[in-house]
Amino acid sequence: MNVNVVLVGHVDHGKSTLIGRLLYDSASIKSERVEEIQKLVEEYKRRFEFAYFLDSFEDELKEERTIDTVSLMFMGKKNCYTITDVPGHKEFIKNMLTGASHADVAVLVVSVVEGVQEQTRRHLFLLRMLGIDNLFVAVNKMDAVAYSKERFETIRSQISEVLSAFGYDAEEVTFIPVSAMEGDNIYSSSEKMDWYDGQTLIEALDEVTLERETKPLRFVVQDVYELETEKVVVGRVESGVLRRGDEILFEPSGVRARIEGLRFFGREDDEATTGDCAGIVIEGTVRRGDVGGPLEDPPRAVRSFFGETVFLGDELRRGDILELRCGTAKVRCEVSDIKEKIDSETGEVLEENPESISEHDAATIEFATEPLVVERFVDIPELGRFVLVKDGRNIGAGVVLQTDLGV
Amino acid sequence: MGLRELENRSIYILREAYAEFDNPAVLWSTGKDSTTVLWLCRKAFFGKIPFPVIHIDTGYKFRQMYEFRDRIAEEWDLDLVIARNEEALNAGVSPERGKLECCTALKTEALRRCVEEHGFDALILAIRRDEHGIRAKERVFSPRDDTFRWNYKDQPLEMWDIYQVQSSFQDHIHTRVHPILHWRELDVWEYIKQEVNVPVNPMYLASNGKRYRSLGCEPCTSPIESNAGTIEEIVEELRTTKIAERSGRAQDKEKAFMMQKLRALGYM
Repeated sequence: MNVNVVLVGHVDHGKSTLIGRLLYDSASIKSERVEEIQKLVEEYKRRFEFAYFLDSFEDELKEERTIDTVSLMFMGKKNCYTITDVPGHKEFIKNMLTGASHADVAVLVVSVVEGVQEQTRRHLFLLRMLGIDNLFVAVNKMDAVAYSKERFETIRSQISEVLSAFGYDAEEVTFIPVSAMEGDNIYSSSEKMDWYDGQTLIEALDEVTLERETKPLRFVVQDVYELETEKVVVGRVESGVLRRGDEILFEPSGVRARIEGLRFFGREDDEATTGDCAGIVIEGTVRRGDVGGPLEDPPRAVRSFFGETVFLGDELRRGDILELRCGTAKVRCEVSDIKEKIDSETGEVLEENPESISEHDAATIEFATEPLVVERFVDIPELGRFVLVKDGRNIGAGVVLQTDLGV
Repeated sequence: MGLRELENRSIYILREAYAEFDNPAVLWSTGKDSTTVLWLCRKAFFGKIPFPVIHIDTGYKFRQMYEFRDRIAEEWDLDLVIARNEEALNAGVSPERGKLECCTALKTEALRRCVEEHGFDALILAIRRDEHGIRAKERVFSPRDDTFRWNYKDQPLEMWDIYQVQSSFQDHIHTRVHPILHWRELDVWEYIKQEVNVPVNPMYLASNGKRYRSLGCEPCTSPIESNAGTIEEIVEELRTTKIAERSGRAQDKEKAFMMQKLRALGYM
C-alpha cells in the first residue's frame, strides 16, 4: 500500500535530517547520489549531513535551510511511502501547505532540546485544518540530552497539551524518542534507550492502514470532447462508483441523465470507481465544473457557504471579490462576512467580525458565490476544499464547514 | 502507488491542462518517459493527441532516435513540430565548447524560439521527481516568465489537485505541466510492460552487454553495463540497481548544481 507521509515541525528540529536518515537506512539512496553529496561537501568544506539528500537547491545548501517542499519515494518493511519534507520557516508556509495537501499521515518532529516552538504550533494548526488527523510525534535530538527519559517525558507532556488544545486526542498519538543524526529508533531500534520499548518510526508507519468509507457518487466534470462519432463527457469519480445505466443529476447545470455508456481508450468497462478518470456518454449538455451524483443523494448547488481559510495574500477585506476554485469549478465569489480572525500559530480567535485579515492569518469566512457544488469537508473531502485566487495567483486555501446558509 | 492510480492522476492532469490553456503542446524526446506521456495523452484524448508534439532536435541525437521519431509520428498521426536552433548549429556550437552553453543553445534556446513562434501557453513535459533532486522540487503546474526562467524561490501554492493557471498575457508567461512528476523510473517500465502498445526505442534494450538507461545527445550519453534485453528484464534490473538513472548523462555532473543552473535558465 502507498502511504503519503508529510514531516512537519519547527525549523532546525531535524525534519530533513530525519528523512535523509530514513532513506539512507532503508537503502533507498543510490550510491551515486551519496558520492555526489560527498563531492559537494568537499567543495563547500562542510560536514556530511543527511539533510543534503533533500535540500538540492544551491541556496538551501549554502543557507542550511529547506526552502521548498520535496517528495521522495521509498519502501518501508510493509508499506511504500511517498515522504514529503516541508520548510520550517514561516515565510515558506505556502510551500508547507503544498507539501501537506497530499498527505495521509503526518510526522511532527520536535527537538527535545527546544520543545514546542512557533512553527510546531502553526504546522499542527494547519494539519488539523487540512483534516490530517493521523499523526505521529518524533521527539528528535535525543542524543543531545544523553537519551534522557525525563527530558523525553517533559517534552511529551508539553506537546500533549498543544495537541489537546488543537483538538487531537493526545492519548491516541504515538510518541517516539529518536535521534535522526545517530539513527536511533528510526529504521532500527536503539540500544541507547532501554527505557523505551515502543515502536521505531518505520514500524509505526508500517502499521498505517488507509480505509475509505463508502460514500455517494460524485463525478466531477473536467471537459466535454466532441469526438468523430460521439460526444464524451470526461471527469473523475471523486467518491462512490459510476455504472452504466445509472440515473445521474448534474449540478449546477440541473441536467438529469442516464449514463448510456462509459468510455476509455483501448479498453471497455461498465464501471468506474473512486479515483478513476472516465469518459461517459449521456443525453443532455453538461460542462466543466458540474458535479454528477445519484438522485437519492444528489450534489447540491449553493450560492453561499461557510469555510475556514488560511490566507497567504497581502490583505483580504470584507466585500472583496475573488475567484474561488473547488474541484474543477471556478466561480466568482464575494467575501460576504469575516466571522473570526484566527492566529494560525495558536489557533486563538484574535478578533470577531474584523474588516480584514492579512498574510498568514486564518479565518472563518462566509462566501457568496455563483452557483457551485460544494460539500462539507467532513462529508466528502474532495469537494469540501477550495482555493482562493486573485489576479491569477493562488492566495489562500480552506475547507468547507457548512453549506446550508439558507441564503 | 499502483499503476492504475498513477495513470489516473496523469490523465487528470493532462485533461486539466487541455481545459485550462488555449494553446498547449507536449515535448517529446522519443525517450521512454515522454513516449509514455504521449501514450497517456492518447488515452486522455481517445487516440488522437489534440495539440502539437514538439521534438527538440539538437542535431546530435542518435540515428535510431530520428528513425523512431518518424515511425511513431506517422503511426500515431502526430502534429509534429521540430525545434532546431540552426543559427547556433551553423555557428559551430557543440559539446566540446562547453556543455552548459551547448545545452542552453541547442535545447533551451531552440525551445524558447519555438514557443515564441507558435505562441504556446503551456508545455507538457515528462520530468519525474525521482530523476534528480532539483526536479523533486517542482510543482505539477509550474510557471515560467518571458525569459523562460524558473523562479524556484517563489513557487505557487498548489493545493490538492487544484493547479495555478496563470494568464499568458502577463509577461508572455507559459506554464510547464508535469503529468508524470509522481512516477518513478520503475513505474514507467512496469507501465510500459503492462501497456503492450507503448513503443520502445530499441536502444534501451541490451545488446553486447550494454544498454542505454536514459537517452540524450550522442556525444554526451553513454550506455550502462547491462544484460537486460527485454522489458521484463529491465524491470528486474531496476528493482535491484544502485546506479542512478542519469549516470550516463554528462551535462548533469560537469559541476555542482549544473542541473539547477540549466533548469533556472529554462532547461527541462
